[in-house]
Amino acid sequence: MKTLVLGLGNWIVADDSIGLRVAAELARMLADRDDVEVSEDYWGGLRLMERLVGYDRAIVIDAITTGAAPGTIHHLTPDAIPTQRSASAHDMNLPTALELGRQAGLGLPPNREILLVGIEAKDILTFADQCTPEVAAAIPAAVEEVLRLLQTGSPAD
Amino acid sequence: MMTMKRISIDPITRLEGHGKIDIFLNEEGDVANCYLQIPELRGFEQFCVGRQAEDMPNLTNRICGVCPEAHHMAASKALDAVWKVDPPPAAKKLREMFYSIFFATDHTTHFYALGGPDFVVGPDAPPAERNILGVIKKVGMDIAGKVLKMRRDGHHLIKLMGGRPIHPNWGLPGGVSRGINEEQRKEIEARGREAIEFAQFSLRLFEDIVLKNTDYVSLITGGVYTHQTYNMGTVDADNRLNFYEGKTRIVGPDGKEFIKYDPKDYREHIAERVEPWSYLKFPYLKGIGWKGLVDGMDSGVYKSTPLSRLNAADGMATPLAQKEYERLFETLGGKPVHHTLATHWARLVEILFATERWVELATDPEITSSEYRTIPTETPEEGIGCVEAPRGNLTHHYVTDERGILTKVNLVVGTTNNNAPICMSVKKAASGLIQKGKVSEGLLNMVEMAFRAYDPCFGCATHSLPGQMPLRVNLRDPQGEIIQTLSQFIG
Repeated sequence: MKTLVLGLGNWIVADDSIGLRVAAELARMLADRDDVEVSEDYWGGLRLMERLVGYDRAIVIDAITTGAAPGTIHHLTPDAIPTQRSASAHDMNLPTALELGRQAGLGLPPNREILLVGIEAKDILTFADQCTPEVAAAIPAAVEEVLRLLQTGSPAD
Repeated sequence: MMTMKRISIDPITRLEGHGKIDIFLNEEGDVANCYLQIPELRGFEQFCVGRQAEDMPNLTNRICGVCPEAHHMAASKALDAVWKVDPPPAAKKLREMFYSIFFATDHTTHFYALGGPDFVVGPDAPPAERNILGVIKKVGMDIAGKVLKMRRDGHHLIKLMGGRPIHPNWGLPGGVSRGINEEQRKEIEARGREAIEFAQFSLRLFEDIVLKNTDYVSLITGGVYTHQTYNMGTVDADNRLNFYEGKTRIVGPDGKEFIKYDPKDYREHIAERVEPWSYLKFPYLKGIGWKGLVDGMDSGVYKSTPLSRLNAADGMATPLAQKEYERLFETLGGKPVHHTLATHWARLVEILFATERWVELATDPEITSSEYRTIPTETPEEGIGCVEAPRGNLTHHYVTDERGILTKVNLVVGTTNNNAPICMSVKKAASGLIQKGKVSEGLLNMVEMAFRAYDPCFGCATHSLPGQMPLRVNLRDPQGEIIQTLSQFIG
């Protein structure tokens, strides 16, 4: 089974970089795994769908704002995707994009194998090199969570 | 006449994450004013000051996830000016070819995913069906493959030239970091020829489905979506449209040239109005003045869109696009066309122009030249770089110290240029559908179509909004109390 671990976000916007930071950590830890590729991207919708082509499974890590405490880790599926980048106001949302890809015959992982890990952000409107401390503190737990998903295929709880 | 007082709108928080429109009614219950609020990222100038100016093409391309290539190009051109260096001809051609590929790809996505479905599926169709899946259902499965191929080819070639799949790291003061070899050139040319066919196919699709439907044509040419404003575009020496370089030309609501200037002089011609209820400034023509959010020769409001670019030019620089340009104006009653919804058609004409230009440049004998950079020797100082981005004119302005460390940064992005006309279009659409305090069905849809034509970049930032164009409309009485709230795609 070939898995893509994909961090979504923007390196220069405060907590919007959290998905990228978690992915960077995982890239180091999973460097010797042939069955797992760790990568990053910046945009949801069509572009995200196109990135998933050719994989059996995907774990997407992204910032999310639901009003929960900053650093809280959320689990989502493609059918419920209010994360920062899994949707796009300039093209289409992920479920529509996945449907389009499948209709066009692209080799995409089934929805049940697309797991989204959302990390509650605090500040996603300020250009900055770093996350807020509360959100940065969630990196180890988010890394753990992705490793657990890689092993078990389902969220901890 | 109107008793409405000014009411300041609470800032949109990113937690809400959607555009917000406040519609103020007068005592009679008719629309007095409409305010569009969009969230905006903070602190970009402070973030940049103190950094090396050479970093800007690689930093600014992260500002916007929709058009990183446009920022990359405007930044590279600004650096040419900061270092007072003129890139060699091959570098300019490589940049313009890269930019044409990006333009065709980006416009394609907008037309098929956002703008097109309103027409192809139908403006009255439920929002959940007005998407690309609805287009496929109506037009056939082939379309999905065509759109995805155009995107795949575009992204592949941008990576091939720009060096990275995500954000290009290619533009440098004085040129680009690498050229292309003959094998790459052949591939770019071959994909470009297919892209021309795709652009022609898209125009035929628009003709068959939109132009042959009198209801749709009436919707385009009807008063609800029409505004008589000035039009901005970049033109070459023969006043034909160019995306990469040229003079900024502005024509009046009557279609006559009002002014043509070098983009580096933009501050002499464009001023920015600050309104207390909006974070986003309202640029306007200095030579006319700010008269508020109103149409006409005496109002300094201008548009900077695919349609305004066609209006501002005397023609297209490539033969197939020129024919389509002529057809657009013949069909819609001559130049200039002020119908906002015709922007979607203009976008398709621009795709054809971009693909033709792509092939022209790919077959230019100089394109594989190894002279793609002039090494700067002057002391850096100040520079302005300007391109036409898909959503409007984009200007980067940098000031540095003698070491090239940034001391000042100013960006004027496409959506900012269109702030005033977007607000005006939204107000007009709302005015037709709200009378005596009664809201007609389809208000959200009609309002959405009004601003979708501009494809506004919310915050011109890489972050996106959850869902499909989430939108909340508050109806307020003259005292500012909310009477009714309508929303869609806000989960």
